[in-house]
Amino acid sequence: MNTDTYTDSYSIRPPMPVKMVIAGGFGVGKTTAVASVSEIEPLTTEAAITEVATGIDDTSMTPHKTTTTVALDFGCVTLDPTLKLYLFGTPGQDRFGFMWDDVTEGALGALVVVDSRRLDDCFPAVDYFERKAMPFAVAVNIFDGSLAYPLSAVREALDVDAEVPVVSFDARSATSVRDSLVVVLELALTRAATAAAAAAAC
Amino acid sequence: MSTGPDTAPADTVSAVRPFLLTSGRVAVESTLPAETQVVATTEGLGALGSLAFEHRAIIEACRAPLSLAEVAARLRLHLNVVRVLAGDLKNTRHLTVHAPQPDMSSDVDVLRRVIDGLRAIPTSTGSGSVPASEKD
Repeated sequence: MNTDTYTDSYSIRPPMPVKMVIAGGFGVGKTTAVASVSEIEPLTTEAAITEVATGIDDTSMTPHKTTTTVALDFGCVTLDPTLKLYLFGTPGQDRFGFMWDDVTEGALGALVVVDSRRLDDCFPAVDYFERKAMPFAVAVNIFDGSLAYPLSAVREALDVDAEVPVVSFDARSATSVRDSLVVVLELALTRAATAAAAAAAC
Repeated sequence: MSTGPDTAPADTVSAVRPFLLTSGRVAVESTLPAETQVVATTEGLGALGSLAFEHRAIIEACRAPLSLAEVAARLRLHLNVVRVLAGDLKNTRHLTVHAPQPDMSSDVDVLRRVIDGLRAIPTSTGSGSVPASEKD
């Protein structure tokens, strides 16, 4: 478990931390979604992410990488005294070429928040989690009480794998955000169970 | 580009260079995820008077367990600065560092616990005070 390199019987045993990522374009509802389920006011810290210059046509060139400092919004939910879920809203998805590995590494899954009127804003996030093979769902945020396009049209436009759930949600509703996170976790669970069964069969 | 003591990196906009606090050291604990839990030890709390500013602030903040991200946000420090300083405090046994297990995303039991835990959280009052617009 979470043992340190040395034991200190005096220090308090912290809960086991797990995390999920809430991604999406600028102003799409990421921080609102984090705030809806977080037990604390969402906090912001500065973190470093890597920006990869897009010179992909020239394979002879090493990709030029620069580190950019971004504001990272996050919240948390204590699920029980030994288990605490952190929710990180990953920044900068409205631009291609960002690598959020520092934030997403080890996450249980991701929710990609989408404004159906600005679908292309979420392409970098969808592309990123597909490449990382991280379980994710697309959550279309309901603005003004309605969707600009039906979910089937959103799915078709995003061209995501059939197993990727596409749901509608209200980023302001704790129940709605919670249920969307559970959808991601159920996909993760299905994958994990399948992998475990395959490993057992070998 | 030079990053010597007299030259700030070009992309640094803060008036105080963040890594001044770490004597220029970076990435010592860069593998620690942001949700890594840190908590002050009895030795750390006992040594508060002898600790310098940021080390002291971290120990004071970590009387109860906190994530590295929370420490960074509360003390208004760059996450990577907190990683380095937490590594210092771990080495001097003032702080215990509890990194999450690396493979939890494929752990069926952990996933089930998180799902059950999320389903059990009270949500009926959670949406009332949330602003309609996003600040990011």
